[in-house]
Amino acid sequence: MSELKVGVLSCSGEECLGGTISRLATRKILEELKFVKTVTLCLPLYLAGGEEERNFAKVFPTISVDGCDKLCAKRSTEKYSGKISGSIDVSKIIGIENALNTKIIRNKDLKDEHLEMVDKVASEIVKEIGRISPDSYSGKSFGGCGCGSE
Amino acid sequence: MIESYAILPCNGLDKCAGAISREIAIKLCENAGNEMICPVFYRVAETKYNKIAGEHPLLVIDGCPTRCASKLAAEKSLKISKRITITEEAKSHNIKLSSGLRLQENENTLVELVLYELENAHDNAAVVSIESNTSYHFDYESFQNGKFIFRVPGNPQIYFNENDCWAYVIGNRARIGVTDFVQQNLSDILYFTPPEIGAEIDQFGEVGEIESSKSVFELISPVTGKVISVNKTLEQKPELINENPYESGWVAEIELTDFESDKELLIGFDKYFEIIKKKVEDLNG
Repeated sequence: MSELKVGVLSCSGEECLGGTISRLATRKILEELKFVKTVTLCLPLYLAGGEEERNFAKVFPTISVDGCDKLCAKRSTEKYSGKISGSIDVSKIIGIENALNTKIIRNKDLKDEHLEMVDKVASEIVKEIGRISPDSYSGKSFGGCGCGSE
Repeated sequence: MIESYAILPCNGLDKCAGAISREIAIKLCENAGNEMICPVFYRVAETKYNKIAGEHPLLVIDGCPTRCASKLAAEKSLKISKRITITEEAKSHNIKLSSGLRLQENENTLVELVLYELENAHDNAAVVSIESNTSYHFDYESFQNGKFIFRVPGNPQIYFNENDCWAYVIGNRARIGVTDFVQQNLSDILYFTPPEIGAEIDQFGEVGEIESSKSVFELISPVTGKVISVNKTLEQKPELINENPYESGWVAEIELTDFESDKELLIGFDKYFEIIKKKVEDLNG
């Protein structure tokens, strides 16, 4: 049986702080927390028709992380890969006003309070990953997502 | 920089190159006039970004050769004014990118180099391009297949290769381009990547690219020599290749180094006309 992996598909948007927090929290999961076999899926590639990304999300449990309530990541995952295993709406964690802040989107402009938001969102992603039952894995074999992020 | 751009970065989250594309886009947007198009939100808020793309020339920043941002631009039928690919920039500057997503010294150096080049691109091109004043005249023969009309110039100074590129040779210079077959097949051409001025090109070497929403076509040079001029207008108006691939849609001028030898592997009008007819027939069953 193939090894269980969990996909995280993050907003990575440029419109507001919520996108930046999504991106950084997902990166934190990948680089620092190393929680189970987490694989980040590239949303722009996914939307551009990346078959490997889309197949991964069909076969393995995948969590969407959205920066705001437009839910670009969640909606696109459901559209192209079917039901998702979990979703995070960053605006519900850090507040809508913070999420929609358009003045601060660059990493270098982030203050301690924003980094705390990143930690908070990362913790929520970890909880969501933990919630996913290994039984949700379809058991189909898959040759690797090819996203280069493992 | 030449003018203010609408900037469409890859913004990818799975490779360092995507993070670099984002950083460059954000830095460019700190300059007045440049505006960013979010590649994710564009699929939700098309009207907003179509307006931005309609008001500014489009700069596409792809992270890797998958070219997601270019694909998105093609999907939305946006005309690309300038495109850079971060992995290619890294290669040309001999900079090794890290496998992580955090920008470190190498990545920040590349960001600064690309920004500098974008700001100085126009001046450099203006200095070295030496377009000839030669007049080019074309006597066309044509044939029709369905609703499509294919024209091929019959002048004896014009040579073709079987890769559907032509060379109009006068003295030690050749003006080159693609034939009607290419532009009809590609349909609406959205982007032109010129060869570098000063580049030494071998016969059958790559001498630029043109791209439509259907595919990318690499121009295969009919001749050997040095690129002395490119058709800069195509960078803003690549559709000129569709309008007339022989006249307003010419691609580059080459200073020839050994045309007598090149000529042995080229064909003239009669043979090419038969080839293109057969290609069109084969294509349409």
